[in-house]
Amino acid sequence: MPRPTDTIAALATPAGTAALAVIRVSGPDTPQLARDLFGNAPPPRVMRHADYRECDGALLDDVLVTFFAGPHSYSGEDSLEISGHGNPFIAQKILEDLYARGCRPAEPGEFTQRAFLNGRMDLSQAEAVMDLIHARSERALAAANQQLRGALGRRMTVLVDTLLGVLARVEAYIDFPEEDLPAEDRESVAQTLQRLAVETDRLLATSHYGELLRDGIKTVIIGAPNAGKSSLLNRLVGHERAIVSAEPGTTRDFIEERLIVGAHALRLIDTAGLNPAPATLEKLGIEKTFERIAEADLLLLVLDATQPAPPLSPPLLARIGNKTTLVVLNKTDLLSGSSPTKTPAGLKVVRVSALTGAGWEDLTAAITEQADAFQPEIGDELVAINARHAQALARAREGLGSARNKVTANEPVELLASDLRGVLEAFGEISGKIDNERMLDQLFATFCIGK
Amino acid sequence: MIVCGAGHAGVEAALAAARMGASTLLLTGNIDTIAQMSCNPAIGGQAKGQMVREIDALGGEMAINTDVTGIQFRLLNESKGPAVQSPRAQCDKKAYQFRLKHTLELQANLQIFQATVTRLIYQSGRVIGCQTNLDIDFHGKTVVVTTGTFLRGLMHIGQNKNEGGRLGDFSARTLSASFLEAGIELQRLKTGTPPRLLGRSLDFSRMDEQKGDVAPTLFAFHDTRSKDDLFHVEQSSERRIGWVPGENQVSCWVTYTTPQTAEIVRANLHKSAMYSGEIEGIGPRYCPSIEDKFVRFADKPRHMLFLEPEGRSTNEYYVNGLSTSLPFDVQLEMVHSIPGLEQAVLLRPAYAVEYDFAPPTQLFPSLESKKVENLFFAGQINGSSGYEEAASQGLVAGVNAVNKARGVAPLIIQRHEGYIGVLIDDLVTKGTREPYRMFTSRAEHRLLFNHGSAELRLLAHAKNHNLLDNNRLKLIETKKERVEHWVKWLEQSSTIGGTWATAIRRVTGQEGVGSLALPNEFLREPSTVRDEVMYRVRYAGYLDREHRHIVKLSEVEKIKIPPNLDFLSIRGLRRESALKLAEFKPYTLGQASRISGVNPSDISVLMIMIEAGRGGTGQKV
Repeated sequence: MPRPTDTIAALATPAGTAALAVIRVSGPDTPQLARDLFGNAPPPRVMRHADYRECDGALLDDVLVTFFAGPHSYSGEDSLEISGHGNPFIAQKILEDLYARGCRPAEPGEFTQRAFLNGRMDLSQAEAVMDLIHARSERALAAANQQLRGALGRRMTVLVDTLLGVLARVEAYIDFPEEDLPAEDRESVAQTLQRLAVETDRLLATSHYGELLRDGIKTVIIGAPNAGKSSLLNRLVGHERAIVSAEPGTTRDFIEERLIVGAHALRLIDTAGLNPAPATLEKLGIEKTFERIAEADLLLLVLDATQPAPPLSPPLLARIGNKTTLVVLNKTDLLSGSSPTKTPAGLKVVRVSALTGAGWEDLTAAITEQADAFQPEIGDELVAINARHAQALARAREGLGSARNKVTANEPVELLASDLRGVLEAFGEISGKIDNERMLDQLFATFCIGK
Repeated sequence: MIVCGAGHAGVEAALAAARMGASTLLLTGNIDTIAQMSCNPAIGGQAKGQMVREIDALGGEMAINTDVTGIQFRLLNESKGPAVQSPRAQCDKKAYQFRLKHTLELQANLQIFQATVTRLIYQSGRVIGCQTNLDIDFHGKTVVVTTGTFLRGLMHIGQNKNEGGRLGDFSARTLSASFLEAGIELQRLKTGTPPRLLGRSLDFSRMDEQKGDVAPTLFAFHDTRSKDDLFHVEQSSERRIGWVPGENQVSCWVTYTTPQTAEIVRANLHKSAMYSGEIEGIGPRYCPSIEDKFVRFADKPRHMLFLEPEGRSTNEYYVNGLSTSLPFDVQLEMVHSIPGLEQAVLLRPAYAVEYDFAPPTQLFPSLESKKVENLFFAGQINGSSGYEEAASQGLVAGVNAVNKARGVAPLIIQRHEGYIGVLIDDLVTKGTREPYRMFTSRAEHRLLFNHGSAELRLLAHAKNHNLLDNNRLKLIETKKERVEHWVKWLEQSSTIGGTWATAIRRVTGQEGVGSLALPNEFLREPSTVRDEVMYRVRYAGYLDREHRHIVKLSEVEKIKIPPNLDFLSIRGLRRESALKLAEFKPYTLGQASRISGVNPSDISVLMIMIEAGRGGTGQKV
C-alpha cells in the first residue's frame, strides 16, 4: 500500500437530517484547499466563521471551519473540519464541490486508517475506533469506550497470566527434570485448563453481542398480508418510508431501517406477507422471507386483531420455533370488544395500533426487554469482542480443549506444552505479543531452580 | 585471523577458522587452562545437550571431546518424548582440557600462543590486530574476542575481593577501555560457583547414588578422532588417560541441606557479598546462590545438592547447588551441616565473580560488532552463560570471521533450524539482563529439535560453509535419504487396517512398536535412521503443524530491511519503536518483530514503508 499522497473528504456525522453536518478533509492538499476556499491560510485549531462557495462562486452555506495542522490532528495529517447546517442536500453539494476540487471520497474507516499509519493510535485503538464508527446505539458506544480503556484488555490479562502459570508448571518439568520439584500435579493443570476454557467461552459469547451492538439487532417483521406490517414499520421508524397500500401483498422487496429503541440499535426489516395461498410472484417473496427469518435475531409476528389468526403454516412454525419472537396484535383501534384472535401459545403478546399509536410504550418496552436478553452475563463490565478477536479466541478454545485431552490421556508433556503455546499465541493476537520471558519469570518465581 | 581467549568459545572459533583453511592465531593468557571447565564438570543437559550435537553437526569439537573424556553419561527426560530428551555427560576436567589442547596443537593452519591481550588496534573503524602484555603486537584481517569472565573480573568471597576471572587466575584489566574507546557499551554481570570438596573426607553412605546409563548416549554423530589423537582408543593401554566412551562410569551423589544449614545462612546473610551490596552485576535467576534459595523460597524445607566428581585422577568433588558468596568460615560451617559432608575438607571455596560484558544487541546476527568492522564476539562477553552456549557462538563467530575476510555471506542459523539459531537470535535481537542460558522453552519450534536430527537439520549450512569433510557429508546425505525414504514408505504402504504410519501412531510405547512386525529391511537400518523415522512418523501431526508455522513466519523473515532505512523519519512508527529499531538495526522484518516493545502495528507500518520504498525506487530490497 502506498503512502497516502491524496486528499480525502467525507461526511463525519451520520447521514440524514440533523442539526449539524460535519465534513472532514485530510491530506497534503488541505492547506491549499483551505486557502482556495476561504481566502487566507487559516490558523490551526481556531474555529472560524466563513462562507462556503462553489467553484463557480455560488454561495452554498455559511459554515464553521477549523484547520488542524499535522501531526496534531485526528488523522495525523493536515486536515480541515467544515461544519455546515444539517441539510443532507447542502452537505452533499459541499462534498461534490470538494471532489471537484481534487479530493477523493474517503473509503469507510480511511481517516482512522491514516491515523493508524501516522502513529496516532495503535492497532487495538484503531480497531476500537473502527467499532466506534459503526456504533449505532448508546450501548455500543459504552462497549467501544470500555474496550479503548481496556475492559477487554483486563480480561485478557487475567487469561494470559493464568495460562502462563499453567505453562510454567508444565515447562518446569521439561527443562528441569533433575530438580527437586514437587510431584507433577496433572489434576490441577486439568482444572485450570477447564477454568480457562470456560472464561474463553464467556468472552467468545460476547462476539455475537458485539455484532449486535455494531450492526444492530436484526429484527424481522412477519405476518399475513395486510396485517399492518408496513404500517408498524413506518410507525416505528417515524416517517413514511415503506410503501403502504390497502391492497394486500404490495411489499415484495425488503425494506430495512435502522432505529434506536430504548438503549438498543435495531435493524428493522419488513417482509412480504405470508399468504397461506400465495400467488406465483408471492411464492418467491415467501422464500425470501424464510431466508430473512433464518438470519433474524428477533421476530415481530404481526397479527390483525380484528381477524381470527390465520393458521400458521408448519414450515413457518418450524422456522420461528427457536427464534425470539414477539407477537404484535395490530389494529386494536378497530376493535369494539375483545379480540377474536387466537395467538400462538407461549409467546409474549403486545396490543397496539399502528394507526393511532395506542399501546406504543408497551411495544417498545417489550422490544427492550427482549433485546436486553441478548446481553451476555459477564461480570459488571460490558465486553464486546470483534470478529478478529473471536477468531483468535476460537483458536485458543480449540487449543485448550486439545490440551485438556492430553492431560487426561497422559500424553507426552511436550505435546501438551505445544498446545498451550498455541493458545498463548492466540491470546497474544488480542492482548499483544507475549514474550517467553514472562513464562520464565513465573517459572522461576514458582519453583526453586538451581542445581 | 586472531582469536583472543581459549575457553569453550575461543577453541571452537579457532578450530572452525583453521579447518576452513584460514591462517589462525589463538591467544590465551595461560595455555594450561585451555578449555577449562570453570564451573561444574558436566557438558550437555536440557537444551544444552541438543546444542552440543548441533556443534558436532557443524564440525565443532565439543561433542567428540565430551564423548572421549566423559566419565558418566545420562539421557535426561528419557520418559518424555524424543524432542525433549537430552544427553548429558560428567567429564574428567583435566582430560577434557588436555585433549582439546592437544587437538589445537595438531590442527593445521592454527597457532597457539600464550599472551594476554591488552588492547585492540583499530584503523578507520576496523579492527586490524591486538597488543599483548608481552609487548608483541599481532595483526589479522578479523579478530574474535572471547573474554569469558576475565574482562575486569572481580571475585567475591564474603567481604574478600580478588581480581581475576577464575580463582587463581588473572583479570583482563585494560581490554575494557579498548572497547569503550570504540564506542562499544559495557555492562556488568555476575555468576557464582560452589565450593570443591575432598572426596575422601565425605561419607557417601549418607547420600543417594546416581549412576550413569548402562547404554550411554554419546554426543558425536561420527568418530572423528585421528590416529594421533591423545584419546585414540588403540593406544589407550599405553596412555595415562584414554578410555572407551561410556565404559567404567563413575557415580554422582545426592544429599540435601538441613534446617541447620538454613539457620547458618540466615544468621550470616549480612556477610554475603550479594546481600551486603558488594556486587553490582546481575546474577542468573536459574542458578541462585544458596542465600537466594533460602530467602526467596523460605518455605522450602531443604534444597537438593549433587556431588559431582571432577575427574578420574582426582579426589575433588563439585557441590552442585551450593553456589554462594558467603565468607569462608560460614561456608565451612554450612557444608558441615549437610548429611555426608560433616567432616568435609574444602579444597576451594565458593565465590561469586563479576565481569564486564558487551550487550549483544550491539552485534549483527553474524556476531560481528555493529560498531567495529571485522570484530567478532562470542561467549560470556555476549552475556551468555554455559560452556555449550559459549562453544556454539565461538563456532559461528569463527566461521563468520573467515567468511567476512573472504567476502562470503555469513552463517546465520534460523530459529527453526536449531538451538544455536535461537541462542544467537535471542542475544542479538533482545539482549539479556542476566547471564543467558538456553532452555528448551526458548525455542518455539522445540518439537523439531530432537537431538538425533541435528546433523540433518544443519546439513545445508555445513555444506555451504565447508565445515565437514566430504566423507562425512556423504554419510549424512545417505542418512537423510534413508530417513526420507522410510518415512514416505511407511506413510504410503499398507498393512492390516491402514498404512504402517497409522499403525505406528496407534500403538503406544516401545513395546507397542515392537509388536508391529515392521519389515526386516527397515529393522536392518542403523538405529540412528530408525529412531529419526519413527519420530517423524509418530509425531507427524505436530511436526507438520510446526512446518506450516515456519512457512507462515518465513514471509516476514524473508523481508529484508534496507540497511540505511532511517527509522526515526518514518511517520507511522511510534517514537518508542522507532528508537528501539534505530538502536537494534534489525536485519529482517522477522527480527524486527521480535524486538521487545515493537508491536504488530509497527511491523505493519514497516512493511508498508518497505513496500512503498520498493514501489518508489523500483528496487528489490
